[in-house]
Amino acid sequence: MSKKTAKNFFIYGSIFFFLVLVVLTIDTMIRVPKRAPVITAEVDAGKKVWHKYDCIGCHTIMGNGSYFAPDMTNVAGRKPKDFLKKFILDPRAINPKAAMPKLGLNEKEADNLMAFLEWTSKVDTNKWPPKPVLAAARKEASTGQAIYQNQNCAACHIVGGIGGTAGPDLTRIGPKWKSEELTRYLKNPASVKTASAMPGFAHLSEQELKDLSDYLLTLQ
Amino acid sequence: MGYESHKIANNFFTSAILLFLIQIVVGIIAALQFVWPDFFILNFNTIRTLHINALVVWLLLGFMGASYYVIVEESETELWSIPLARFQFWATILTVGLVVIGYIIMGFYPQANITVFGTLLLNEGREYIEAPRWADILIVVSVLLFLLNTTMTAWKTRKFTDVQGVLIAGNLFLALMYLPGVFYTKNMIMDQFWWWWVIHLWVEGAWELIAAAFLAFSLHKLLGADRTMLAKWMYIEVGLVMFTGILGLGHHYYWIGTPAYWLWIGGIFSALEPVPLVLMVWDSFRTTKYATKPVENRVGLFYTISHVVFNFVGAGLWGVFHTLPQINKYTHGTQITTAHGHIAFYGVYALLVLAMIYIALPTLRGVKQFNQSRGYVAFWWMTISMIFITFSLTGAGLVQSYLERVMGLDYVTVKSAYNHYFWIFRAVFGVGFLVGVLIFVKDFFVAGKEPLAKAS
Ligand code: HEC
Ligand code: HEC
Ligand code: HEM
Ligand SMILES: [Fe+2]
Repeated sequence: MSKKTAKNFFIYGSIFFFLVLVVLTIDTMIRVPKRAPVITAEVDAGKKVWHKYDCIGCHTIMGNGSYFAPDMTNVAGRKPKDFLKKFILDPRAINPKAAMPKLGLNEKEADNLMAFLEWTSKVDTNKWPPKPVLAAARKEASTGQAIYQNQNCAACHIVGGIGGTAGPDLTRIGPKWKSEELTRYLKNPASVKTASAMPGFAHLSEQELKDLSDYLLTLQ
Repeated sequence: MGYESHKIANNFFTSAILLFLIQIVVGIIAALQFVWPDFFILNFNTIRTLHINALVVWLLLGFMGASYYVIVEESETELWSIPLARFQFWATILTVGLVVIGYIIMGFYPQANITVFGTLLLNEGREYIEAPRWADILIVVSVLLFLLNTTMTAWKTRKFTDVQGVLIAGNLFLALMYLPGVFYTKNMIMDQFWWWWVIHLWVEGAWELIAAAFLAFSLHKLLGADRTMLAKWMYIEVGLVMFTGILGLGHHYYWIGTPAYWLWIGGIFSALEPVPLVLMVWDSFRTTKYATKPVENRVGLFYTISHVVFNFVGAGLWGVFHTLPQINKYTHGTQITTAHGHIAFYGVYALLVLAMIYIALPTLRGVKQFNQSRGYVAFWWMTISMIFITFSLTGAGLVQSYLERVMGLDYVTVKSAYNHYFWIFRAVFGVGFLVGVLIFVKDFFVAGKEPLAKAS
């Protein structure tokens, strides 16, 4: 190959591939709106809040960003929005060990942000993040434990090293509580502890709440 | 010094090196914040913004300095306008300074990041291109002045060497690919789509063109190897970079909401991206056999060859091993990405700029010989430390991918319980890296100025 051929190979080849990219980009722009819910004024305002506070300086979203804090793509699907809103407003009031600082968002900004995170959780991401195998392969020992798992308490609590850190570790929670009080707490945490950030589980039946608290009381 | 114009290159190199030092110091703070989040008065996000922006800016300053140097050497004439180049230098420094002050203010008072004329005043909250709109405009003006000056210099002599052509093409492509990142998009999917045009088409496109041009220039300058042969291989390399890299962009469009056909396009093309990088390794080792003169600037050659090797290791190996969608599904957005980012930026671009500095050094200092031993010492401190940083992060990434993505453990649990020691290793080797940088900084300021005998 001569130098001239090599030069033409570079110039025309680059132009060709760039044109292919432009065509694919146009196609992508046409398809993308159908792969996510409509962008309302709140979602857009929420996205601006996301940028304003540089959340991406700590978090990833759709897997891109900074690797210091959990991914935000699906967070609205994993945890109740009330809880997330309280957390964003003042992380350490919810979890004294939180590494996220209080950034000083106001109520309205937090609401818009929740609309934005709700939107991202509904984007068609070609099934990312993958479903973990452990969650699928788990076997429950008791009805109470089954409820603990399908209500996804593990999103916020650790038992035996597994689970999230938003709420206290429940590995040895048993001795701390009495059955009747715990049942009441699970149904409506605020009735036992004021300003609790723990979501209530009032949609469970009395029997289910009882089974759940029986399970928790065995943890010691 | 030969040409008056080389003072400009020297200014750019000096500022690049000082920013390099800042980058590493804030990097160590960021590493410690993984263990103690409240370690410093500024939060992690601000520190990280400073870390990655200092990186990008010092590399760009280094490219500009090296480009001014190479264009002048190739044209064998002064720059088209030295005052313009001097103005461009100081204007760039001023802009960078203002942007940094803005980041720090925003770090202390997030509320200060207000919206003015529809854009954020201090920080756009998009990683790597956090710089606000007003700074974007100034940066574009600066790059245009730089392009004008270098192109007119090449034009002036009507020589248009192959190196100049590819170098100017790379710089032009770099400037154009900044633009997709300047505008606001409502849709987060398209926001990230355009963001990757900037980041990916820079590091795996435009910047590789610049690197290939510098490589051809350096091998000719150091070894006296035949220009036509070097130019031919340079074209083949940059051709392959563009053929694989442009559509390789698809490896960032797997999971952000873009259509599924990108899984195929991104997977296939990005898997081929190491091909030109292997070719560069082969080409440069082969060229050393065609030397027509003894190598005087051995440390310059050493850094050049190291850059080529680590281009393959950092971008090729550490890039390709998580580029297929089947694997990227589990590693996307984990410390695996961080590991790759570190070894690639260091191996490909940091070493490139350092190599160009060493190659230019005798000319800039107006000497034929200089004490070269410190350059090697700096290299080994930096490189060994970076290899261990990369291993720590790769270890953390494998643990994270497995426990979080496969087993379903919580992010914070994995980070604080399982990866704790990896963060400590990373910080320790960060300090080792800093030692290397300090030696390098010293070398830059004293090499060629001290008596040769006093060499230590
Ligand atoms: C200085 C780094 C930092 C910044 C900036 C930051 N976060 Fe966080 N965030 C964290 C960390 C670390 C966690 C993990 C929990 C913890 O330890 O605090 C977290 C947790 C969260 C959670 C809870 C996730 C869960 O699964 O429980 C949400 C929601 C969140 N952040 C949203 C945001 C938003 C929105 C912003 C921008 C307004 C933001 N964060 C800015 C560090 C940060
Ligand atoms: C969105 C996060 C979240 C979810 C989901 C969640 N919790 Fe909680 N939980 C918390 C927080 C935060 C606290 C601490 C606040 C408090 O003490 O009221 C807490 C406290 C508790 C406590 C009291 C701990 C103590 O030390 O006294 C128990 C028991 C508990 N949760 C059980 C559960 C169970 C059972 C479930 C599932 C049905 C569950 N939680 C789901 C966040 C959560
Ligand atoms: C040429 C120099 C290169 C540099 C400087 C570089 C740098 C980076 C950086 C910094 C990121 C992270 C961006 C972020 O913060 O989200 C990244 C991501 C990535 N790079 Fe590279 N890269 C280079 C080449 C390559 C090559 C040649 C490949 C593969 C063939 C590759 C594959 C990837 C992949 C797959 C990701 C996404 C990781 C994820 O899914 O999280 N890179 N690169
Ligand atoms: Fe890429």
